Order: sequence, then structure tokens, then C-alpha cells
Amino acid sequence: MAVQLDFGVVLERWPELVRGTAATIGLALAGMALALVIGIAGVAVLRGKNRIGHAVVRAFVEVIRNTPFLVQIFFIFFALPLAGVRLNPTVTAIVALGLNGGAYAIEIIRGGVEAIPTGQTEAGLALGLRPSEVFRFIILKPALRSIYPSLVSQFIMLTLTTSIATSISAYELTSVAQRIDGDTFRTFEVYFTITVIYLLVSWGMMAMFAAVSRRAFAYPTR
Amino acid sequence: MFARLLSGTTSRAVLTAALLALPLAGAAQARSLEEAKASGTVRIGIQADNCPWGCLGSTGQAQGIDAEIGRALAAHLGVEAEFVPMAVANRIPALTADKVDVLIASLGITAERAQSVQFSQPYAENELFVTAVKSQALPDLAALSDKAVGVPRSTPMDTILTAQAPTDATLQRFDDDASTIQALLSGQVDAVGANQFYIQRLETARPGEFENKFPIGALYQGIGTRLGEADWNNAVNTFLDDHLSSDEFKAAYSEWLQIDVPDLPESIDSVSFTVAQQ
Amino acid sequence: MIGPQELAFLGRGLMWTLALTAIGFTGGIVFGFLVALARVSPLKWLRWIAAGWIAVFQGTPLLMQLFVVYFGLPLLGFSPPAWGAVAVALTAHASAFLGEIWRGAIQAVPGGQTEAAHALGLGYRARMRDVILPQALRLSLPATIGFLVQLLKGTSLAAIVGFIELTRAGQIVSNQTFKPLLVFGLIGLIYFLLCWPLSRLGRRMELRLAAATAR
Repeated sequence: MAVQLDFGVVLERWPELVRGTAATIGLALAGMALALVIGIAGVAVLRGKNRIGHAVVRAFVEVIRNTPFLVQIFFIFFALPLAGVRLNPTVTAIVALGLNGGAYAIEIIRGGVEAIPTGQTEAGLALGLRPSEVFRFIILKPALRSIYPSLVSQFIMLTLTTSIATSISAYELTSVAQRIDGDTFRTFEVYFTITVIYLLVSWGMMAMFAAVSRRAFAYPTR
Repeated sequence: MFARLLSGTTSRAVLTAALLALPLAGAAQARSLEEAKASGTVRIGIQADNCPWGCLGSTGQAQGIDAEIGRALAAHLGVEAEFVPMAVANRIPALTADKVDVLIASLGITAERAQSVQFSQPYAENELFVTAVKSQALPDLAALSDKAVGVPRSTPMDTILTAQAPTDATLQRFDDDASTIQALLSGQVDAVGANQFYIQRLETARPGEFENKFPIGALYQGIGTRLGEADWNNAVNTFLDDHLSSDEFKAAYSEWLQIDVPDLPESIDSVSFTVAQQ
Repeated sequence: MIGPQELAFLGRGLMWTLALTAIGFTGGIVFGFLVALARVSPLKWLRWIAAGWIAVFQGTPLLMQLFVVYFGLPLLGFSPPAWGAVAVALTAHASAFLGEIWRGAIQAVPGGQTEAAHALGLGYRARMRDVILPQALRLSLPATIGFLVQLLKGTSLAAIVGFIELTRAGQIVSNQTFKPLLVFGLIGLIYFLLCWPLSRLGRRMELRLAAATAR
């Protein structure tokens, strides 16, 4: 009994694959945006003087970085409603992705910020910039430029992590794959196809980030 | 590669041909009944967390009506039963990929599944319902309008509700029964597509809160074997011929399913319970 | 309630989590070493193959890698038990990530050292073994430990193919006891207690390394 591979029954469902891919990209972008906000806010707190704030951010980073995403998303979806917080699957996925990516973003951004020589901050203050302006122009932008590569690889990871959201019934590419598999039982073909799509999505994301970097972080030439 | 293929004016036939209906060299020869007997074990796919059908007890041993039938089948064949825990989604792939010899995994007999699996004659009945909290008025399918309804992915509950629920009902598909029940308990869905045992499990969790609203169909479970493999199919049918009328089976059925053995149908849709003779 | 039986069940799941991590990490070290060497090889085609291997595993979800290996191996005529398929997938995954980490470390060893070793008449093997790799190993330790933490957390995805490791065991207990808050909290705590010391160790090494290389 030779095994026959048949990709036709999978590929003929291409409209669903396209919708699922779009949903995956949407989840990823929303997750990244939230992660970036959490990352920047977290670093701002860490640079501030509030001791409790420090402790909360540190604990958040350690807990998120040292537990699996699957456990985190289960916790938010199945357990938090018992504590009165009920989020639908898509929102749960975005929040989980944002919290997870945010913890890593805090670490990455903090590293970049700490690498800025203090003399630069002092120079900014001496020029009469307000502390918030110093943070924005002298710390944040150069720091973002130097940490950009790490942030991008973290965001690619975040994109790939969206596949886990299927386990709380969120709609994205992997959930589409599981439906097609349920109808066709062409399991290997389905997951092989989906894997190729993920590869294209992550390569596309990398190309997009490279383009952003060329525009956003170019030093003035004059 | 994928995008280019899609953007072309390819029809399905061309796609299929282009993307190779490819016989892999050295592909697996699935294990035959003789080989299983020689090895002294039969590998039985069973659900890991879906009692009273099949589950692993807290010490890891297989339990449930499926486990009882599995052990009786092994005894009938004169071998040891080796239970392999399955998730809902990988039951059939695990069988076709020769990871197990037979599936006794609360597998409802449907025409779609019969395209991929050879079913035996049925050994149990499973009634399907829409289930929700008592305070919610849900007289019929139309009342599901605008509601979030949980179903275990790719099960008959999924198929039936996908086809029959109002279009503005949101179907949320979970990996298995357990997650679906958990979603109802957590209030993540308003109702679920349930089999006859959800209510028992909901009662254990929160007594008196939930009820079956209306039936959406009935399913009959069969033992799954690989398509075209008459040796396995014959063996399980022969086993069931005797076993279904035995006191041992009746006792196990009422112990686990809390009801007497119902009348099981002679035929279902257009599904054949035996491998066609060639 | 969660009694001794449930805890014992979680304990067995934990053993599988540790076993899968150990197998994946050990296999990843062996094959990742080969991937790293291929990646910095003088042979162009070998560099290409290694780069492709790394790109595929870093560009696709671990969950898909598990699915493809789990359902693909039988098509190739192998039928390993579930843990075997998961172990193969984790090993391949780890080899790509560790290979890339070590490539970076090998290339971070200053080029002058290779030239010096050349000048001393050392061949490829002696150069790698006695000069480059010992330094690269030291440089790569923090990132290697960081990946070990990722891998340990990644084993939780074996739950989705139905393999009963710690997370899946937690799901099952949660569904029997209907105490998801407690059970998933407990599961999270167990992972944390495993991963946190490793993360701290990695960070301490990183700081020591930074202090040692700072001038």
C-alpha cells in the first residue's frame, strides 16, 4: 500500500487559506503593536523612581518569560472568566501575544536604553530639553535603532506563536488547517502546505521590517 | 511557490497532477492482524480525556466503555491491549499513519469519516444536543441566532451545527470535548453542541445549572480500522457479533453509560460495515 | 479537589516534559554542532544547506514542525511512538536554533586568531578544536541556556498533538476537577520554577562575560 499524496484537495480550499493567512497577519500585527506599547511603557516605569512599579514590571517580565505561551493563553481564556475577566478568543489571543511579546520587548528595549551613554542624556538636558523630550529623541530613537534587529526577530517569533491561538478556538491559519484536515483527512498535506505559508508570511514580515528600518532609522545625511 | 501556483489559471485537476499524487518509495506497509498477533499486542487508539467513553484514570490506566471493549477485543484476539491515548483531531490520522491498529475512540459513524476509515458495526449510541444554562431560553436552532456556540472541532456536533445553525451564530471550535465543556463553564460560549454525556460532566462541575435544550441528532460509535484491510475489519466484526450480546458488555455499558444497551441500527446512511469483497 | 492522585498524574507529565527537553537538547547539541560547522564551512554548498535548514526552522511555528514530523514520518515508512516523533521534531528544531547561536559565537571570535593559528601552521581541525571552539563555547553559553528555556517551554506544544506532558496533564486534571484557575496556576508555577533558575544562570553568565570583555 503506497502512500498517495494529494495536495489538490487542500489547495482547492485556497479562499479559506487566504482568509486564514490574513487573520494570522492581523493577529500578529495587533499583538506586535500591543507588545511595543507594553515594552516602551515597561521601560519607562523601570527608568522611573517608583519602587513598586519596578517590582511589578520585573515580576511581570520574569513570569511571562519563564512560562509557556500555551499555559498563559489557557489561563487567560479558561481561568480568568472565573475571576470576572472574560475576553473573546480573538481578543484573548491579541492580549496573550501582546503580554508575551511585551515582556521580551521590555528586556530588549531596556538593554538598548542602558547602552546609551549617560553623557548623551546630560548633553540633552544641558541643551534645555525636557526629560520627556530627552527620553523620546535622545534615548528612545537611537535605542530603537540599535535594538531593532532583536525586536524584529522577537516579532517574527510572535507571528509564529499566533498558531497556538487555535487551541482557544481563535480564527487564524492553523484553525483553518484543522478544519480542512477535519474534512479531508489529508493531514500531512494540510500541515505541509500551512508550514510553507507560515514560512512565506515570516519572510514577508522580515522584508517589511527591513523596508521600515531603511526609512525610519536612516541617519540624516546632511 | 504557493502564491505563484494559486495565481495561475490552474484547475483542480491540473493542481492535483502538478502537485503529484506521488507514491513514496519505501512507504509504510501498515501492520497486519497476523503481525499484531505475532507481536503479542494490539495497539488501540483511545481518547485520553473523554470518559465515560475513554479516558486515562489518574494513575494512567485506560478507563471507560471504550477501554472495556478494547480489553475484551484483545482477549478475543489472544493478545495484550496496548492503549495509545489520542486527541480528537489526530484519531483518524493516527490510524491511517499506522500508529495504532484499531480505533476505539468514541468515533461516531458518519459518511464523511467512512471515506477515510473502515467502520465496524456500531457498538454504542450517542445522542447529540444543544446544551446551555437553564436560565437561557433556547427552544430550537433559530434561537442560537447571535449566540456564541462551542463545539469540538470536526465532530458531528460541528458538522450538524455548521450546516443548521443560523448564519449569525458564532461557532467556536475547540480541540476536544473537554475544552468545549470548559468553555461553557467559563462562560466563554452561550451554548455548546453536546453529546449525551456533557450534561453528566456539567452536573459534576456545577450541579443544577445546565440542561439539554433540544436534540440535534444521534450518532452510533463503531470500531475504526484502515480502509481495505479486511483482516482487521473481519476480526472486529466477528468479535462484536459475540460480544454485543454478552453479559460482560451489558454490565460495562450500564456501568459506564448509565443506561441499558439500546437497539443498534443494522445500517447507517450509506456506510458499509464490512470491507467490500473484490 | 486536587489530591495525591492528581498530583501524581501531573508528576508523570512533568517527567515527560523533562525527558522531552533532555532528548531535544541533547540531540540539538549534537546536530546543532554539525549545523554550525556547516554554516561556517569553507564549502559554499554546505553553507547554503545549513542556512536553508536554519531559515526553515526559524521561519515556521514549532507547532507546525511537530505536526509535519508527527504525521510525515509514517509516510516515509517510520512509525515511532508519539514521544519519538515529538523528540525528532524537537531535536531538528533545536539543531537549527543552536546551530545559528553557535555560528554567531564562532564568527564572534576575532578573525586575527584564525590568522594567527594559520601562521602557526595549524590545520582546520586543530584551529577549530584548540583555538576557535573553546572561545566560541564560552561566548555562546548565555544564549544556549536561553534557548534551553525556550525548548523546555516549547515541549508544552506536544500537548496539542495529544501527547501527555505537563501541560496536557494539567488540561486533563483541570477538566476532571473543573478548577482551571488553580490547575493552570499550578502548572505555570511548575514551569516557572524550572525555567527561572536557568534564566538567572544565563543572565549571570552574560553579565560576567560582558564584564570580562569590557575594557
